[in-house]
Amino acid sequence: MNLTYSSAYQSLEKLVDEIEGDNIQLDTLAEKIKEAKTLIEFCENKLRVVDGEVKSALGGEDGK
Amino acid sequence: MTHLKLSELVEKIEDVIQRRFAGETFWLMAEITDVKKYAGKRWCFLKFIEKEGNAITTEIKGVFWSNTYQHIEKFESATRRVFGNGLEITCNVRVRFHPRFGLDLEVLAIDVTYALGKLELEKQQTLERLLKENPDIIQLVDGQYITANKKTELSAVLQRIALVTAPNSDGQRDFKQEIEHNQYGYAFSVAGYLTQIQGDNASKLIIQQLQMIEARVEDFDVVAIVRGGGSQTDFKPFDDYELAKYVAAFPLPVLTGIGHDRNTSIVDMFARQHKTPTKVAASIVAHNYNFETLVINLKERFLGAAEDMLARAKENLQSTKRLIKSYSPVNILNKGYAIITVNGRIIVNPQDLKQGEEIKTVLKNELIHSTITKKTKNELDL
Repeated sequence: MNLTYSSAYQSLEKLVDEIEGDNIQLDTLAEKIKEAKTLIEFCENKLRVVDGEVKSALGGEDGK
Repeated sequence: MTHLKLSELVEKIEDVIQRRFAGETFWLMAEITDVKKYAGKRWCFLKFIEKEGNAITTEIKGVFWSNTYQHIEKFESATRRVFGNGLEITCNVRVRFHPRFGLDLEVLAIDVTYALGKLELEKQQTLERLLKENPDIIQLVDGQYITANKKTELSAVLQRIALVTAPNSDGQRDFKQEIEHNQYGYAFSVAGYLTQIQGDNASKLIIQQLQMIEARVEDFDVVAIVRGGGSQTDFKPFDDYELAKYVAAFPLPVLTGIGHDRNTSIVDMFARQHKTPTKVAASIVAHNYNFETLVINLKERFLGAAEDMLARAKENLQSTKRLIKSYSPVNILNKGYAIITVNGRIIVNPQDLKQGEEIKTVLKNELIHSTITKKTKNELDL
């Protein structure tokens, strides 16, 4: 799945709703924690690392 | 026939002009052209013209000397327009004649209020035309301009920025500085779309840059149009009909940092206005910070709920343990009950016992060995 900020946020929100609403079985808790951790790390890392889709081109692209 | 020397004739002309115009000044309203500014010397030469249709019918030279050059600077800083060709100005002039340089009008002052009023009127006319001709992308609601661009949704995080600005400008430097040295360590990619942003062609050149951005619209989250301050700034390109219309319909959110507190251009009104390049950059950083804060809040809620869940599970386990303990044989023996066994097997059904059989009665601290001598029905009232 191609994760975006919005989809990561929505998935995380869903996990929080599930766990706060007691909709998670104890035996799947570890799995859910792992899932949440992945989503949080995705957001935190992506905010701080440019993934190179657009190369920084300040001054390089003058439109001429 | 007597001949006059050139100087003698010119002197007569000068004399007439002197007598008619000496000491007198006039308020004049006229269009200016051929404006040549010599900022170093603080001189400015120009022509005043009057037209009928496209034909110039009247023309006279005009000049600012260093003692009045400040009026040009005041005009530019008040109107945010370059003092240049095609402007209609109202100014105070004196008629001069020089034997070598001829007749001209020396400008003593410019009526800035008139100029401002005229520019404001032009701007209002452009706005009205934009509204009337583009009702699907521009609307006026409660004194605010609502455009398709202003309604574009900002992505959760703004990271891929197309920056429209002048090369090597203060605006470019200020924006970059604020973005690259943001206190949270957020990463950005900034693609520069650099062009002239002042002067007659600027609005067209800016549209060209926007077209190039539009061609790869998927690669960007946001467009920033920025320009540094300074007194020599020109607002005209940003009040241009075509550029304003293009921005109003642009598919990516446009943030502007081109103005000052006193002035708001039409492009500002049609996009998300942030006044200065630094403020545009700061607003992008703040937008991402808001997102991160939301994520951190969710993280804390999730961990809190997970801890609660584990605590409750632990609690359940404890009570189950207590329950099991209360049913253990030791507890039963403590209460004075006994267990009967035959050959190490606990007897649950007394019919399994025969007369003469050897049994063991297990009590709290003792084991009683006995032989069954008699079996009768239990008639005790327990």
